[in-house]
Amino acid sequence: MLAINNVTKQFGTVKALNGVTFDVPDGQITGLIGQNGAGKSTTFHSILNFLNYEGEITWDGQPITENDFDNIGYLPEERSLMAKLTVEQQIVYLARLKNKPAKIIRPQIDEWMTKFAVKGQKTDKIKSLSKGNQQKVQLICTLIHQPKLIILDEPFSGLDPVNADLLKRAILEARRQGAAIIFSSHDMANVESICDRLVMLKTGNVVLNGALGEVRESFGRSELYVTTDWQEGQLAELSHVTNVTHLRDHRYLLHLDDPAAGRDIFDRLTGGHYIEEFSQQPPTLDEIFRLKAVTNHE
Amino acid sequence: MNKTWIVALETYLRQVKSWSFVMLVVSPFLLLAVSLGVGYFSGSSNTNSQRIAVISDQPQLRAAFIKDNQADVSRDVTTVAAAKKRVANDKLAGYLKLSADSRRVTGRYYSQNSISSSMETSVKGFLNKTQQTLNLQNAKLKTTQLKALSQQPVFKQHIHKTSGSSDIAKIASFWILVFVIYMVLLTYSSITAQEIASEKGTKIMEIIFSSTKASKYFIGKITGVMMVILTQILIYLVGGAAFYLGLNQIDTFRKLFDQYRYLIQPVIGNLLNVNLLYLFLGVIIYTIVSAFSGALVAKAEDAPKAAQPAIYLGMTAFFLTFPFQSNPTGLIVKVLSYIPFFSSYFMPLRVIYHQASPLEISLSLLILILTIGLLAWYISRIYEGLILQTDDSSFWKRLKRGLTYQN
Repeated sequence: MLAINNVTKQFGTVKALNGVTFDVPDGQITGLIGQNGAGKSTTFHSILNFLNYEGEITWDGQPITENDFDNIGYLPEERSLMAKLTVEQQIVYLARLKNKPAKIIRPQIDEWMTKFAVKGQKTDKIKSLSKGNQQKVQLICTLIHQPKLIILDEPFSGLDPVNADLLKRAILEARRQGAAIIFSSHDMANVESICDRLVMLKTGNVVLNGALGEVRESFGRSELYVTTDWQEGQLAELSHVTNVTHLRDHRYLLHLDDPAAGRDIFDRLTGGHYIEEFSQQPPTLDEIFRLKAVTNHE
Repeated sequence: MNKTWIVALETYLRQVKSWSFVMLVVSPFLLLAVSLGVGYFSGSSNTNSQRIAVISDQPQLRAAFIKDNQADVSRDVTTVAAAKKRVANDKLAGYLKLSADSRRVTGRYYSQNSISSSMETSVKGFLNKTQQTLNLQNAKLKTTQLKALSQQPVFKQHIHKTSGSSDIAKIASFWILVFVIYMVLLTYSSITAQEIASEKGTKIMEIIFSSTKASKYFIGKITGVMMVILTQILIYLVGGAAFYLGLNQIDTFRKLFDQYRYLIQPVIGNLLNVNLLYLFLGVIIYTIVSAFSGALVAKAEDAPKAAQPAIYLGMTAFFLTFPFQSNPTGLIVKVLSYIPFFSSYFMPLRVIYHQASPLEISLSLLILILTIGLLAWYISRIYEGLILQTDDSSFWKRLKRGLTYQN
């Protein structure tokens, strides 16, 4: 397990991280979210020892040293490979730096290229590949040595939905193999679809930390999806309804300031009769993100 | 395999497989081959037009002249008609008609131009010698009289050599060496600085530093470049030797080498001694500084500028040698021959002129090697801090941040 304990990092007068504390358990996927400049990349750089910091970061209870590098797979935010190498040379070179012998890695390259649907040959020069395919090769470089700790900085950026699904599948497979995975993303749908845990940073402070379901539930079931013949204006007049969004046809999303008001609203809408849809849920991750990013909601 | 070696091997293989390296290594040989080829062919095409034919009714007389002037005579021309035709076609410089009766030897030279001074000397020399022999025969002298007349005066040169060919060899050795150091240094400084600067602009370094320590990577990189330099020097040595031995098989070049052996041998001797080590170490120390300045650029687009500090330093040392090319005993030369960055130019100057003792050379080498070691160690420690800065702050800010980096 990766444990980040009270980590603070200051750049001049700017505190990029302020007492950041959270865990990344083995066999789980942790999503690290936050606005630009919240401290996500600084957190990753601290884990990788690129920066000096106050506090403690441990892997299985020990400070991270060069010996642990072989078990880490890291994908930086901006993509970059050595343009003049072939796909095979690039993968083998980076794997050898992870202490994986070429004779073990070489036979796996075709399989990984198929898994990520890379269009091109392993003998092709990196610079001859499209940007998307270069990104896939970089993902292969990150994962092929089967790391126990996987750090992915914005892995979905630039990927179309089909390729994003391929990446999700690879991340889920790594989780099944017991890897501790942490990734940052601005796409809350991707975070929501595969994450077990969620950490949100705001100006270097942890503002959310926990299992994804628990985090969402902690905001209460303040969202109500209904399909009804009632008009938008009538719905807005219901008590404890703060906002009404017309989704489509007779379907509406009602925001409640008190989740307990759901039962009264159900009684009023149905009047003891059939209703097509009545679903009370916690806010989506996207809404939680907007809420936490704008306010200091606890 | 050790990660430093993995980086070194990757750097080495990538560079030696590149076209720029192949061109770098092959171009001097090509240049040499082309210039020697041009010289050879123009030389051989000129030879016939500079030769003369010798025509004579007396075969012994003709044979005697040819024996003394083999290189200057076209033997296959034996008639006046053939000689005239060749002269008209500019295949011969002219022809010499030789005749002799019992009292006089006669030589008549026919040409479109006047005879060359060297040929004139040869012809006159031959005619004088033959006439002398004829005169002695006609005088019917006794053996003792003949002996007395054949007495020659004595002329001997007694030269105390303080200059001459040995000085030319030293000056030639010096210029060849400083130019080779300067060119190799310029090339590798530029390659190294640009490579590191272009890496800095990318995130590949973050991936690499998540696999190995920056210090190991830096040392691996420098080791790889060292191996490339060694390969180039080895190719030059082996190729140069092969070129020399190959050309020795060709008559024209063998004569040329024989003619200039007094110059060639000491020059080769001056290049293949401790000076070769100075060349190698000099390039290494400048390469390390280039790597450092390459790591200081703000972004990949600045890569071409990255080598400038090392190149300017190299140029300063290079031009500083000019006033001292024949003054190896000056105080400034002595001082600079111990100072790294300058010693690679100045100590070889002293070595060429035999003005440095083995102790002085050892001390200078020790200082140079220690400086290389210390520089490599220090830069490897701050390398991560230098290379991971990608902001567009000023050069001095980046330098300060790099120098104060601790991890």
